Amino acid sequence: MNQTQTTGCYYYPSRSQHIQCSAVINDEQIQLFDNQTNSIVSVSNLDCSFESPLPGIATAVCFADGGRFIPDDINFQWPFTHHSHGIAQQLEKNKLLILASVILIPLLLWFILYRGIPAIAVYSVGLASPSMVEAMGEQSLQVIEKIALEPTQLPSEKQALIQQQWHSMLDDLQLDKKKFRLSFYQSDYFSANAFALPHGRVIVTDELVILLKDKPDALRAILLHEIGHVQYHHGIRLAAQATASTIVLAIIFGDLEGITEVVLGSSSSFLQQAFSRDMEREADKYAIEKLIALGYSNDDFADAIQALQNKLDEQAQLDESWLKYLSTHPSSQERIDFARQYTP
Amino acid sequence: MDTTTPPVNTTHAPSPQIISQDRVKFSGKAGEFFGIWTVNILLSILTLGIYSAWAKVRTYRYFYSNTSIDGHSFDYLATPIQILKGRILAVAVFVIYSLVIQFFPTFGILLAICLLFAMPWIINQGLRFNMRMTRHRNVRFAFAGNYGEAFINFIILPIASIFTLYLLLPYVLKRIDQYMHENISYGNKPITVNLQGEKYYMAALITIGVTIAGLVIFGIILGLTGTAMGIGAIDAENIHPSTIIFPVLIAALYVAFLTLVSAVYQSIIRNHILNNSEFEDVASFKSDLKAVQYAMLLFTNAFAIIFTLGMAYPWAKIRKARLLCSATEVTIYHGAIAIIDTAEQQQSSFAEEAANVFDIDISLT
Repeated sequence: MNQTQTTGCYYYPSRSQHIQCSAVINDEQIQLFDNQTNSIVSVSNLDCSFESPLPGIATAVCFADGGRFIPDDINFQWPFTHHSHGIAQQLEKNKLLILASVILIPLLLWFILYRGIPAIAVYSVGLASPSMVEAMGEQSLQVIEKIALEPTQLPSEKQALIQQQWHSMLDDLQLDKKKFRLSFYQSDYFSANAFALPHGRVIVTDELVILLKDKPDALRAILLHEIGHVQYHHGIRLAAQATASTIVLAIIFGDLEGITEVVLGSSSSFLQQAFSRDMEREADKYAIEKLIALGYSNDDFADAIQALQNKLDEQAQLDESWLKYLSTHPSSQERIDFARQYTP
Repeated sequence: MDTTTPPVNTTHAPSPQIISQDRVKFSGKAGEFFGIWTVNILLSILTLGIYSAWAKVRTYRYFYSNTSIDGHSFDYLATPIQILKGRILAVAVFVIYSLVIQFFPTFGILLAICLLFAMPWIINQGLRFNMRMTRHRNVRFAFAGNYGEAFINFIILPIASIFTLYLLLPYVLKRIDQYMHENISYGNKPITVNLQGEKYYMAALITIGVTIAGLVIFGIILGLTGTAMGIGAIDAENIHPSTIIFPVLIAALYVAFLTLVSAVYQSIIRNHILNNSEFEDVASFKSDLKAVQYAMLLFTNAFAIIFTLGMAYPWAKIRKARLLCSATEVTIYHGAIAIIDTAEQQQSSFAEEAANVFDIDISLT
């Protein structure tokens, strides 16, 4: 009969009392003896359970009554544990696997965050009902209105003119006029800008209209860009992606604390910017394609971006705009070049 | 290994008789933990996050089992299934919350109010779970806080402190720490905690002093780099390498600064709490964590993590645990050998039952 011996500490069930002892283990049972070789415990192997082994930590044996024995030797191997027992520990000690993890983790994370989640987001936008998107869009508008928008100061003739242009463009594109609505607002916060809400409302600021007052074609190009955002469901996708990435990072790195959260937090916002840069390109492409399809020039789009960039440069003289490189849009020159050199 | 443990069943004079007086020992190794950490993350990714519950248990067990007082290590008792249930619940709540916030921003307020009222319960549940899952010498810890007190300490008082221009804040923090610690018991032995408000006001003043000093330095550096940037950066078309390096540098400085400030406050408060807590007749504590040393450690940890793109995380975590343990002295008295684990008998109440079902993980620091 195989017999193994070791020493360790026995903890009595449900109390702080404990005793140094030696253990004798054979095929049927574990026996513990104190210094005077009096038997303290004698338990059948069948009534023992073992903690899952961890690198560098002695594996304790737990008895059915709650008593426990911890060997002094951290490398002590219990002879009759099941074969699959300790598989996690073997993996954690495997140098090759550790090396593989170091290489695979960044690759997998990149794949999940930049490929997997966006792909799922594209698929899942189909699941959102139109009424839900409508509610989402209108509520977002209410919030933005409170924070950053003022009633428009544009003369009503000017508004009517642009609306007319908008409607004929929607007709040409065969888009639903009930869905795609154009609104004007004055905004110091957004300055010369336009944005689209997921349910099809496009907001144009007075400042943009004034900036492009001599370039109606450029304004049309920007409106097409915004329609592109709506058509590709960019708003909803972005929201879904932000949520999904936060969850993924939180689950995988669940137990990080303090500083690392700061790092993670900033990396996820970088991530969001990368997402939206891709989306801007998509909307740019949409605008350029439609311009050509409707018989206008792809240069209109380039002109619009150039005008916006000139305005930005002017403002940049005033404030510390070096942070603008973090902006959600791709570099202006890149977009202008893309528009000018576009071939269908 | 166990040379410090004296024989147990000897007769002793009336307490308090000191059995042992020693620093807390931490025996974790960075190399060992690196393996556990990376392999667990890989497995978590490959199992779409499910293994993360096992990973958490293994990480906690590694740290608990490597922390020992008087030759006896701590045990972390939570099972992966408990953690998994808690995580599924947390993810579900988070998904619902973010969907509501992003799709219906105006309902967000209503939801925030619901969350406000659920908060004390969630905090209690988390504390209760963590204590029950911590064991030393076969006796579990327990937490006995109630909803009413938690509501006052975590909701009412912090809100009230806003209306006093935060003058009340140190007192509120004291109340929170008092609540979180005085409800702990080790088996059948409750803890006694006597925290003093003055200490919290002192800590706040020192922290504010460090913050102001830091902001002045930070401002000078920011001003210098800002002007350096002004020359070439307006032109968005040619992004200079410096456009990327400077923001990173400023972010790093910001992290370092936060680290320093929190280290100062945390070390003062930690010392105060431990020096004024004891399990009468069982154990008393002494903490002499030095603010500068702790700040240096957190600071170098943060930098190591950032510049190794996270690879230094296991090393940083081990280092921190080692420093905190070595700054803590525990005196064990004779009463420590006669503690009874009462966790089994308490399971009648709903709160105790619920605490066993799943983990609600809330980090309060």
